[in-house]
Amino acid sequence: MKKIFLSVFLLLSTQVFASEFHFPAYEKYQLPNGMTVYLLERHETPLINVKMVWKAGAVNDGKSFGLANFTADALFLGTKKYSKQELDEALEFYGASSSSSASSESIEASIQLNKKDWDQLMPLFKEVVMQPTFPKKEVAKRKAQLIDDLKQMKESPRSMIGREFASFIFAEHPYGNPVSGTEQSVAALSSAALKKFSEQYLQPGNAALIVAGDFVPREMKEKLAASFGEWKGSGKSVQAVSVSAPAFPVEARVLLVNKPDAHETTFMIGGKGITINDPHDVELGLANTILGARFTSWLNDALRVNSGLTYGARSRWNKYSTSGTFVISTFTKTKTSFPAIDLALKTYQRIWEQGIDAATLASAKAYAKGQFTPNYETSGQLADFMGGMFVYGYDESYVNDYFKRVDALSLSDANKLARKFFPKDALQFVVIGQATELREGLGKYGKVVEKGL
Amino acid sequence: MKIFVLEDHSIPSANMYVFWKVGSRNEYPGITGLAHFFEHMMFNGARKYGPKQFDRFMESQGGSNNAYTTENMTVYTDWFPSSALESIFDLESDRIAHLQFDDAMIESERQVVSSERSTGLENNNWSFMEEALLGTAFTAHPYAFPVIGFQSDIDNWSKQDLQNFFRSYYAPNNAVVVIAGDVSLAKVQQLANRYFAPIPGREPPRKIHTVEPEQLGEKRFYLHKPSVSTPHLWIVYHTPATPSSDTYALQLLSSILSAGESSRLYHHLVDDLQIANEVSAYIPNSFDPYLLNINAVAANGVSAEKLEKEILSVLQQVVQHGVTERELQKVKNQALMGFYQAMETINSKAEFVGMYENYFGGVQKLFTAPDEINQVTVADIQRVAQQYLKKSNRTVGILGNWEDK
Repeated sequence: MKKIFLSVFLLLSTQVFASEFHFPAYEKYQLPNGMTVYLLERHETPLINVKMVWKAGAVNDGKSFGLANFTADALFLGTKKYSKQELDEALEFYGASSSSSASSESIEASIQLNKKDWDQLMPLFKEVVMQPTFPKKEVAKRKAQLIDDLKQMKESPRSMIGREFASFIFAEHPYGNPVSGTEQSVAALSSAALKKFSEQYLQPGNAALIVAGDFVPREMKEKLAASFGEWKGSGKSVQAVSVSAPAFPVEARVLLVNKPDAHETTFMIGGKGITINDPHDVELGLANTILGARFTSWLNDALRVNSGLTYGARSRWNKYSTSGTFVISTFTKTKTSFPAIDLALKTYQRIWEQGIDAATLASAKAYAKGQFTPNYETSGQLADFMGGMFVYGYDESYVNDYFKRVDALSLSDANKLARKFFPKDALQFVVIGQATELREGLGKYGKVVEKGL
Repeated sequence: MKIFVLEDHSIPSANMYVFWKVGSRNEYPGITGLAHFFEHMMFNGARKYGPKQFDRFMESQGGSNNAYTTENMTVYTDWFPSSALESIFDLESDRIAHLQFDDAMIESERQVVSSERSTGLENNNWSFMEEALLGTAFTAHPYAFPVIGFQSDIDNWSKQDLQNFFRSYYAPNNAVVVIAGDVSLAKVQQLANRYFAPIPGREPPRKIHTVEPEQLGEKRFYLHKPSVSTPHLWIVYHTPATPSSDTYALQLLSSILSAGESSRLYHHLVDDLQIANEVSAYIPNSFDPYLLNINAVAANGVSAEKLEKEILSVLQQVVQHGVTERELQKVKNQALMGFYQAMETINSKAEFVGMYENYFGGVQKLFTAPDEINQVTVADIQRVAQQYLKKSNRTVGILGNWEDK
């Protein structure tokens, strides 16, 4: 395969369409119980996507890392009327896809179904989100699997590097909570803990139901009122999730994670980033396209194309409600660890040294616009975006204004913003590999702390 | 060169998929991995767009691209705003007609591909097992070679090997092009006539005439990797090429075995016995007879023997007692939902057209597939289970953390 960047879709284009691409019309309203509803009608296929989203996540785990994630996961493990097996058999018989998951700041459960199966499947989904019972036996089984998954994840540096970085840079702050927990923290979770978490957070006043696909809005509203109008929840008032902005380390530090059988060194370098609603998000996204989010980006060009040090090098903004990080990541064989780290740093310095040139900015603008609209092609993608609207508070102007904002960015502003917001000092390094080969050389980047996987 | 156009104006974007009928199945010892390496070299310079210019120009026009190589095919994918259609034709025709091989680019790309191979082995246990699996299951057919190639071949193939490969396989008559999205047939025809039509066709490549001899007894292998947390099992059975009269029955059988948590294998191994954490069964499309695959990861403390025994007992149940009408209806319903899902994006539409054209004997089969799938009976499922899920037709691979003493 040519590239590992499979999921790097950015933005779409051309003068011709610049003013024509808009987020499709949708309706938003609230049920008397406080649950928000988003409806978006599309008739390309007979599919309907239904997604319940809650404003809660791993930031609410406290020290019980993995609690939000396990609670989300366990929604499909049984409800008041249906056992796990009954849920699986019914949903799968009709070919519906279902999933539930948590991130740092959101929890969701969703299904995609054929509209003709609505009456068979919605009663089940309704129970999954409104009356999960977290059966002890099923929870114990899933717990064992989650712990095994966490063990297995340690076999893959690529799977570990992001969570190691988040907990290294955020330390005790909730954004550092590992979403899937640790072997020890998950082992301590119980059915009662999941139930308590769901009663606290998975409540109608804290939820949005998003329906996108092939339906008639008037009929859908009646169905939703009948299904979800009666949902009272636990009656507990939900505290709005408010996470204070974390402090960032003031000096450069290195976390060396020893993997004695590694043949490669996998590393991530970064620092303070921007929030999800940062007023410069589009512009800084564009600057990052140039630095490390497309094939011809500076980082990939230097580390892969020109030197063959790696199969791929990239950078990204990780954005949260009140904070964020910026990270560069790649991997290389153990022997070339230091040349690769040095080259990544040197390439990164281009932001402050040469800066962005006009031709590269023009190319990045075309690329960003050209890759934008496929992100809003399916009902599922549109439902995901509306979930983000509810959780993070942004709206469709992000999509509607995107081309305009990209076009409006001048070269001098691009450089000014990049120099101001990309973290220059106090960089944090996480390096996974053979400690015996790496230990000595890492000191030059900052104070080294070492741990096992 | 055959070109398919699927107009879809739902977003102002389009794609171009170029399917070349060449993959690792066209390799031999000494040049294993070359089809994949060649895929990389297609981005490294031609006559009009020299080294690095393919990606630079494409991205400056708003396009992005990727490519992948399988045992059977090499596929190049371009995604772009529809306004860039002509630029894409220009780029693709330049490299198809006039690919150049720059010595420095070959050496640098050799390192990139070595890194790709190494990072697969480092991060993915199935990649780690694949070399042994294929090498054990196949003794004569080139499906025995891993797509990424052996490191010693990656280190040693030459510019001459690349040039020969280009001449043998990259003639327009060995390709199928699919364009889906916000384009018009008339415009595509005009551009195709201008950019692709002048590129001369060549003699079709040599047929792969090697037939894998019938397997007459179970084959096994074990691999040691100290950091593996629990045993991994990979079991395969030889199955016919795509399409055969058994293709849909085998696909439905593999869904009955592992699609969803109510499937036979998942329900028994993960839910009931809790001896595995993941299990999957699948049967890839292939030009020559290939494999039905079953992959499973043991739960903590469960031996490979125990897991293998239970997997085989689930298969034996199907062989002896067949499946229920409801199970079959379930996987048919899932297949239909799969078709609808594929119609949601211009990319999966293009992939489906390419898949049916290349593997199923023509794009018109896409339209008869739902009916053919519906015609499969429970008796068909049991028959194919009996025919293919035989011990003598099986290879069993185990990855574990114990030394093989």
